[in-house]
Amino acid sequence: MATVKIIDPVTRIEGHLSVQVTLDAVGGVQQVTDARASGTLFRGFETILQGRPPTDAPHISERICGVCTVAQGLASVLALEAASGLTVPDNARIMRNILNGADFLHSHILHFYQLSLLDYMDGPARGPWAPTWSTDKRITGSAASTLFSHYQTALDMRRKAHELGALFGGRMPHPPSTVPGGFTTTPRAARISAAASLASELVSFVQGTYLPDVETVATAYSDYSAVGAGPRNLLAFGVFDLDTAGSSKLLRRGRAEGGSTSVQALDVNAITEAVTYSWYQDASPVGPSAGTTVPSYPKNTSAYSWLKAPRYSGKVYEVGPLARMWINGSYTRGISVMDRHRARAQEALLIAQAVQQWIPSLSSSGSVYNQYTVPSSASGVGLTEAARGALGHWVSISGSTLSRYQVVTPTCWNASPRDDKGALGALEQALVGTPVTNADEPVEVMRVIHSFDPCLACAVHVARPGKGATVTRLGTAC
Amino acid sequence: MQISRRLFLKYCGASSLVLASCGIDSRGPDGSLEQRDDLASVLPPGAGARVIWLTGSGCGGCSVSFLNRFSTTAPVSAADVLMNVAVVGFQPVIMAAAGDQAVAAAEAFYAGGEGTYVLVVEGAIPTAFNGAACVLWRDASGQDVTVLQAVQRYAASATAILSIGTCAAYGGVSAASPNPGAVQGLSTATGLKTINIPGCPPHPDWIVAGLAGVLSDAPMSLDAQGRPESIYGSNIHVSCPRNQGASTVFATTHGVDNQCLRQLGCRGPVTTAPCPSGLWNNGRNWCVDANGPCVGCTESSFPQVGLRTPV
Repeated sequence: MATVKIIDPVTRIEGHLSVQVTLDAVGGVQQVTDARASGTLFRGFETILQGRPPTDAPHISERICGVCTVAQGLASVLALEAASGLTVPDNARIMRNILNGADFLHSHILHFYQLSLLDYMDGPARGPWAPTWSTDKRITGSAASTLFSHYQTALDMRRKAHELGALFGGRMPHPPSTVPGGFTTTPRAARISAAASLASELVSFVQGTYLPDVETVATAYSDYSAVGAGPRNLLAFGVFDLDTAGSSKLLRRGRAEGGSTSVQALDVNAITEAVTYSWYQDASPVGPSAGTTVPSYPKNTSAYSWLKAPRYSGKVYEVGPLARMWINGSYTRGISVMDRHRARAQEALLIAQAVQQWIPSLSSSGSVYNQYTVPSSASGVGLTEAARGALGHWVSISGSTLSRYQVVTPTCWNASPRDDKGALGALEQALVGTPVTNADEPVEVMRVIHSFDPCLACAVHVARPGKGATVTRLGTAC
Repeated sequence: MQISRRLFLKYCGASSLVLASCGIDSRGPDGSLEQRDDLASVLPPGAGARVIWLTGSGCGGCSVSFLNRFSTTAPVSAADVLMNVAVVGFQPVIMAAAGDQAVAAAEAFYAGGEGTYVLVVEGAIPTAFNGAACVLWRDASGQDVTVLQAVQRYAASATAILSIGTCAAYGGVSAASPNPGAVQGLSTATGLKTINIPGCPPHPDWIVAGLAGVLSDAPMSLDAQGRPESIYGSNIHVSCPRNQGASTVFATTHGVDNQCLRQLGCRGPVTTAPCPSGLWNNGRNWCVDANGPCVGCTESSFPQVGLRTPV
């Protein structure tokens, strides 16, 4: 008989997530046969932004997420600039790239060492590293000691990534410097030389420590190169503009279906959001430019998340570093838990090296800002990437104030609930089929969840057991 | 708390200068600190100041900012705090345990009784939908536990309650108008006295100084908004290097160095925080030196509608 397990809270993520899995034996192997991912936090940013001056938007938007703060602010100004047909000076474009690149590096390093590694080995025997599940920790002894020393080094390196960002951003997180029309900071010579030094350290760390450590884990857990595939549809908005128009990017825009390496064009109008299983007022799936965010709680017994369910042409897509590297033709090894870690680390190197090249291309005497004037009526879309995947802001301005604001975050794509057709979200699909050896310590489920690097600052949870299932609690009783 | 207090005094250089030595380093614009002590060895299990760190409605930026701690005075880094000063029973962003085991870790500290742990809260408290806008976990009986219920439970026995960040202190961005989640700051939601360490995010040195203040016997004088005066004692505009009195030059557009940003909406004149002297991210920069007008993120009024409206 099936057993339902609820992991609540899911830790080592940003925000509030609960995951419910149904476990059953299939072909003699206990595995996940059904999954529900529930976002358990409602924040209502879309409502908060309505009625504000457009220049408030980047400051408020950044606070959607303390981990990928730069990308949120960037999506916001890209939407405002699109609404005004405004471009920015090269210096501003390059400083935005460096700032966002630094934020990606902080996030990727944090994700592997602080958020993921403890699914594969133990830390010191004190909080916050203990207590912990003991099931299937294959990295022990001196290998674990070495990796934990790298855990500490990684804390220093992610801090330095934020220092690199702050040299141009002003401070991290939540920098004030990305504004519609460009950037506020001037790339003074002292900043350029300090940034070059930090970028060099980061390249060395990613190349000499992060990438080898991912291989150490991937070798010890080679079975996880065949676990957690998910929908095998991959989508990227692309990021790091290499020209003024943004037509050329370091990581390009596109999508791929069914694990194909053939990349197709992306039509933003094919994106819709379903709310059938979300705590919002029911509506047919519509695009974000027409969407509303009216909370409805309690709603009915089938709703289980504060996340909406974004779909592309009605299909479920995965977003994130693997999707970006895949669409870019830079990584095609496979789609799995370990492939997500490998692609993320390889992307970190690609970005660190690009940042290293961008820094000396700044002109200390060049302009950083083109005058932005708030339009009385306009609308625009800002598409970019946060560390954990495709990010879009849809903005409408009326009477010189924000009349509509909709955000589709990466984790909405990855950790979405079922859609109007009942199709499971990407993480839910990736969980189904995952073998679980000890139902009381389902560390395998955590590995699949963490491979997506979920960030739920923009949503949350309540999961209910299905019919015919026995519900038991995880771990020891309180 | 004997062990924790002794340890903190040791790490902070002893004496009554706890806040000064543990908290705010004052540095020049090029004063990034690259000299540091080696981390001491890990404390034995259970030794250190017990901390329960809950996250309500927020963005996680306070946790991220805490991880940016870097100082020549101990604790030199976030890792130093975690390994040598505090024993963190519950901190959802970094703790190894998940699910019931994570909840049990918080409950184990709670079971230690009154005055045996410090409660740190990051993020605000939603009260709409009976608190369901922020559910932290399910308890052993299968009931959802909201952040409101959790803080009420753990605050009652805590040695002290630290509200980290403007959301926990006053509601902040999470409670911004029209406040669809009926979100409140911790003190308002619970009616309890808290020590507020606002900032969106707060500087890591402010967080460490707040923790040090709670764990030492040094008296902590709070201002009318519940903030330690030792941290939040100075007005940004008054101490701003761009404030040159009668000879101040005012910026009228973005991207120009060394000019006062008041006409671009800088809220320095109505904001108290040590940013101009302490700087951010290991002394690398601060908002105004990046020509970014101060957004007033340490104030209870943040974020009012019209963030760029001149004051």
